Amino acid sequence: MQRAFILNGSLWSSGCNVAKLAANFPSSHGDILRTAMLPVVVVHGGAGQIPKERSDLSTSGVCSAARSAYAVLQGGGSSMDAVVEAVMLLENNPSFNAGCGSVLNMKGEVEMDALVMDGKTLSSGAVSAVRNIANPIQLARLVMDQTSHACLTAEGASQFARSLGVPEAPQESLITEYSRMRWKKNLAPDANPVECQMGKMGTVGAVAVDTDGNVACATSTGGMLNKMEGRVGDTPCIGSGGYADNMSGAVSTTGHGEAIMKVTLARHILFHMEQGQSAEAASDLGLAHMKSRVGGLGGVVTVDPQGNWAARFSSRQMAWAAAQKDTLHYGLYTGEHFTQIIEDAH
Amino acid sequence: MMSAVLVVHGGAWSIPDEIAPASVDGVKAAARHGSSVLKSGGSALDAVEAAVRALEDNPTFNAGCGATLNIDGEVELDAIIVDGRTLASGAVSCVKNIANPVSLARAVMEKTSHVMLTGKGANQFAESIGFIAIPTDKLVTEYEKKQWEKHKKYLAGVMEEFNTKWTHDTVGAVAVDCAGNVACATSTGGIRNKMVGRVGDSPVIGCGGYADNSSGAVSCTGHGESILKVTLARLILSHVEQGKSVADASRLSLQYMGDRVQGAGGTIVVSPSGQWAATFTTERMAWAAAADGVLWFGINPEERLNEKLSQ
Repeated sequence: MQRAFILNGSLWSSGCNVAKLAANFPSSHGDILRTAMLPVVVVHGGAGQIPKERSDLSTSGVCSAARSAYAVLQGGGSSMDAVVEAVMLLENNPSFNAGCGSVLNMKGEVEMDALVMDGKTLSSGAVSAVRNIANPIQLARLVMDQTSHACLTAEGASQFARSLGVPEAPQESLITEYSRMRWKKNLAPDANPVECQMGKMGTVGAVAVDTDGNVACATSTGGMLNKMEGRVGDTPCIGSGGYADNMSGAVSTTGHGEAIMKVTLARHILFHMEQGQSAEAASDLGLAHMKSRVGGLGGVVTVDPQGNWAARFSSRQMAWAAAQKDTLHYGLYTGEHFTQIIEDAH
Repeated sequence: MMSAVLVVHGGAWSIPDEIAPASVDGVKAAARHGSSVLKSGGSALDAVEAAVRALEDNPTFNAGCGATLNIDGEVELDAIIVDGRTLASGAVSCVKNIANPVSLARAVMEKTSHVMLTGKGANQFAESIGFIAIPTDKLVTEYEKKQWEKHKKYLAGVMEEFNTKWTHDTVGAVAVDCAGNVACATSTGGIRNKMVGRVGDSPVIGCGGYADNSSGAVSCTGHGESILKVTLARLILSHVEQGKSVADASRLSLQYMGDRVQGAGGTIVVSPSGQWAATFTTERMAWAAAADGVLWFGINPEERLNEKLSQ
């Protein structure tokens, strides 16, 4: 059923600002503009300081994920399908701190968090501190689609997974040599915690707009290296790890989780966009606010419903890739912006 | 000098007549208690914790003692506390056998480098800092046990369409102290017969509560999944940041939640300058506010009763 409502003096219906769409996209010119800009997907593989020897893995990982997600969109898939596809690939890729390859908690175990959000309905699904599954993002989506709840945690999340026949992934299948090595190093009494947090591939995430103009976000992580058992970061917290709203856009965040939560970074960025800031300006404002107010660094991928996008970060690096208009964009260090034609795109 | 203000709520829902008097008495007592903390120079943070502890200890409310049961008949508790001065925050989700989750949330904030702990990990932390484990039967009331039996036959989620009729008596408090610092706290047992491990809005920063000295403090109650969808606490403060009064900001945000996602709820807000509001779109919300020597309170729409604060 279509619902109309007023927000900020404008008329909205079915998640679209009717007046804005008409004003910005008058008939045929608007249609052409809209087709060219959409669909779009932007992916990140974590903000932080990645050692040089692992940076190629980050870059190729996010590029692959962006290409696959773009193919989903081009094939008529929804923005939700696309962001889940991108994040699942990154979860399966042992080079990222999500799913397989997740960092270990204090006890040497894997506890994962994930979030999906649908910009049309504002529905979301999240899991926190879930164990023994390969794809937390998939479970998060199942929470959204198959329960009347928005978030399940820990043992409850596992029970739900079992009830749906989601296969159990043994701890060992999720733990890599690299993550075990870094965990051990951080346990040592003379461990330098800053140095140990470096080299951490961060949280992974994606945002997308499909050809219907619907936006979505997805974020997934193994959390913070050597975190306390049961520690939940920003990732599964709606408004912090991500937010999506057809009225303004979608954001997926990465970086220092506690800082992101304190400023509800994803929601903060979208407030700026609601007030007229571009995706890039809003992202920069949000990151600057987080840095000045709570001293935290991070990165975001952001998209607006018209297809304008940004990949911005205040940390030294963030592996990111975007696909739009048959072009792949990607980068790792500040200021980098490489492009490649997507050959096999139709 | 700044005058301190404290507002508390005991949940926004169709509070039945049988428990309405106890709900009103409960929020009034909590407001008095929290306000005395402010009066003796305590911080906003101390005051909201004290007020919420009083509500957790009161079996009338769905927090701490008296919490509703999940589908397995167990008590899983959520809570959050936020310090508007630094944005420091502490939250716990799905903790068991703890009498005062709001105090555990504060311990997360002050004794760890994290913001949120869940489940077993949260319980382990509690134990490590000497929180006494309360046996489940001390937290479960006869009333809740009966309600759980009654609803057991429904699948979790079937009742969703009647979301205003669900018990939503989460508790919360917001305060501004004489130094102009704001704080919020929210605590709950969640939705009756919820799935095991279900986390609602209460412990999620920006949803169940938020506090920022630059705009104010908010605590929310109502249909948790709807509050999450619109990040209600943060939404209200964004309106305040844009220049709206706390009352208008609350009204607009609750209206939006109703229109956009068909959710009902209630909110309490306080600004750094001492403006406050208690607003709800459910049938009732038990609330009380202590400001300028007066205790304001109500439970029905438009109700604004008052009496002298010092007695």
